[in-house]
Amino acid sequence: MYINGIGCISPQPTFNNQVFLEEIKEYNTNRIYCVDTDYSKFFDVTALRRMSRIVKYGTAAGLIALNDAGIKTPDAISTGTGYGLLELSQRFLRDFISTNEGVVSPTSFIQSTHNTVSSNIALLTACHGHNNTFSQKWFSLESALYDAQFLLKEGKQNVLVGTYEEIGEFNYASLMQTNDLQAEPCSNLAMFSQNNDGVIVGEGAAYFLMAHEQNTTTYCKLKAFKTAHNNENIEILLQEFLAKNNLRNADVDVVMNGMNGDKSNDAVFNTINKNLFEDATQLAYKHLCGEHMTAVSFAIYAIAQIFKQQQIPSTLVLKNAERESNVILLHNKYKSYHSFFIFEKC
Amino acid sequence: MGVYIAGKGVITSIGKNVEENFHSLLHSKSGIGKMEYLQSAYSETLPVAEVKFTNSELAEMAGVKFGSPRTSLLSTIAAKEAMENSGINFSKYRVGFISANTVGGMDNTEQRYKEFLIDKTGAQLTGVLQHDCGTITEIAAEALQINGFVTTISTACSSSANSIMYAIRLIEAGVLDVVVAGGADSLSRFTLNGFNALMILDKKPCTPFDENRNGLNLGEGAAYIVLASERVMQEQNKEKKFFVSGYANANDAFHQTASSPEGKGNYLAMTQALAKSGLQKEDISYINLHGTGTGNNDVSEGTAIQRIFSKVPPASSTKSFTGHTLGASGSVEAVYSLLGMEHGLIFPNLRFATQMKELNFKPVTELVKDVELNHVMSNSFGFGGNCSSLIFSKYKK
Repeated sequence: MYINGIGCISPQPTFNNQVFLEEIKEYNTNRIYCVDTDYSKFFDVTALRRMSRIVKYGTAAGLIALNDAGIKTPDAISTGTGYGLLELSQRFLRDFISTNEGVVSPTSFIQSTHNTVSSNIALLTACHGHNNTFSQKWFSLESALYDAQFLLKEGKQNVLVGTYEEIGEFNYASLMQTNDLQAEPCSNLAMFSQNNDGVIVGEGAAYFLMAHEQNTTTYCKLKAFKTAHNNENIEILLQEFLAKNNLRNADVDVVMNGMNGDKSNDAVFNTINKNLFEDATQLAYKHLCGEHMTAVSFAIYAIAQIFKQQQIPSTLVLKNAERESNVILLHNKYKSYHSFFIFEKC
Repeated sequence: MGVYIAGKGVITSIGKNVEENFHSLLHSKSGIGKMEYLQSAYSETLPVAEVKFTNSELAEMAGVKFGSPRTSLLSTIAAKEAMENSGINFSKYRVGFISANTVGGMDNTEQRYKEFLIDKTGAQLTGVLQHDCGTITEIAAEALQINGFVTTISTACSSSANSIMYAIRLIEAGVLDVVVAGGADSLSRFTLNGFNALMILDKKPCTPFDENRNGLNLGEGAAYIVLASERVMQEQNKEKKFFVSGYANANDAFHQTASSPEGKGNYLAMTQALAKSGLQKEDISYINLHGTGTGNNDVSEGTAIQRIFSKVPPASSTKSFTGHTLGASGSVEAVYSLLGMEHGLIFPNLRFATQMKELNFKPVTELVKDVELNHVMSNSFGFGGNCSSLIFSKYKK
């Protein structure tokens, strides 16, 4: 399948597809938030007032991707989100708990279901087609991509695939208690040189117009992807994946790693990069968007842009092999959740 | 290449397994009643359809650690039954677990959140990490020893119908050989207060498709079917009896929580499922309605059905037994549809009194026996305009 349109809202100013990581935001906290765009361009004032932050940036990311592909109404929408609409869920929890289950407004409850953003996009684009929402931790996007692959095979022309994620106050507090976050945050831009424990948690939304056919708006081809919930034999699984897709290690021009600055998480990448991709350009992205269950979609946004813009912003580069980007491998990882993707130039 | 139904499992307020559910359906025994297990300020005023076991009893039955979210316990129990019922030797195959839920670990989160509101730094929050829907599925998958592809669908009340569709596609695409598909949801104060704030909870046992219906009752439960490829059926010497002949997921694209008055999404889901099955509308022997009992759902669903079927087939809402089990309802009703087909029965729509003035049909109100059900349609509609229809068919050589 082809990526024919992209839309990304993240802790970096990524909402405008004409520029690609020209301005980079530096943060010195262990929790980073999206850089907002002017949402009044997408929604009328009354609608805007009713929308929570994630509904705004999630829906806007979907609309940017559609607009980018020159499509008004997609054939179908398939979405992944690890935690869904946390802030509204927590607002509703607070409302009924603090009133001892008294009279509460249903507004935050109404918008708290996981499918709120995908259905909001359907509503705004009059999309009556297939509409799905997956919630499988670090495999949420991958689940939606399978869905899209099946639908395209069945004859749909395009499927809008995307993710949205936010971290509520409550989950942030719980991540702090379990020592999953950096205790003493460093600059996000220095993340990979600090030998830290813990991560910087982020948020964001990204959508991709996945299509059966290539056209003038095409960014690249997503040739194959695979998930592996496993920490043993990852190197072997990765090689099997490449072989199954008729690629040798040396064919990979660029490898995008899912390292997140936590030394126990990242160790495997050092080994794999050394053993398999010594001659490839090595990139990383989580310093820009933070770690979260659907952070992988930021990487896909960046890879699509690398193909389109024919350049790799220096902020992504760990090691530059100065190779032309024809084949890009994305290896995402959090703890034992691994996923592999192969993208090709069109 | 075909995909067949090889097993089923269910736990609801009307029974802890298929046999008990069947017995209750046969004897018009509803599970809706006074709240006994959920702790809520509405325990005296809002009836619910509870699974009549404590969390520690469910944990014991599931073989899952006590303290795990209730939804994960229900999920494990029903999925285990489905797997055993299938008689398949799973170790030989690429096995998937596609489970739906909407509340995740909300029962535990509610408890922790209360402490958090009082003391932001002192509250013990580790349970919150089981808040997300995916964790529920992982807890069950681990208990079931399913190591293959595992994922969760969360599209409100249509969730587990979508699990079944996704499972079929995974098998048809050759990604997996056999999939346990369905969903689970436990009661929670979150959903109870939410639906109550929307003013769509009936203070009495619900009366779906009745002119004087007054809303839904929340229920809880879990149900799964085992879907297997042609090859698995052959190798395991399983008789091919039932399969999903048609399915569709469409969107109403009308309003976040309300259905369009003409039921556009409902209409699209049903007509597209029919088209996929290659059947004529006259071939449908029975419709298991979404039939929540809310003013809005029943009129939209009924209107869409009337538009499709010039002669509406027998139809009933088994939510009059189980309440609305949210993310589990699609798969609970899939299991009931299969039970009806297997035994030649149409289960009644309980407590029905007056036909809706908008509709030219009324639901089946008494148990119908000795009826040949070749093709059964099951509807699941939800918030966000998510509308799904499944058609179950008897396999004929």
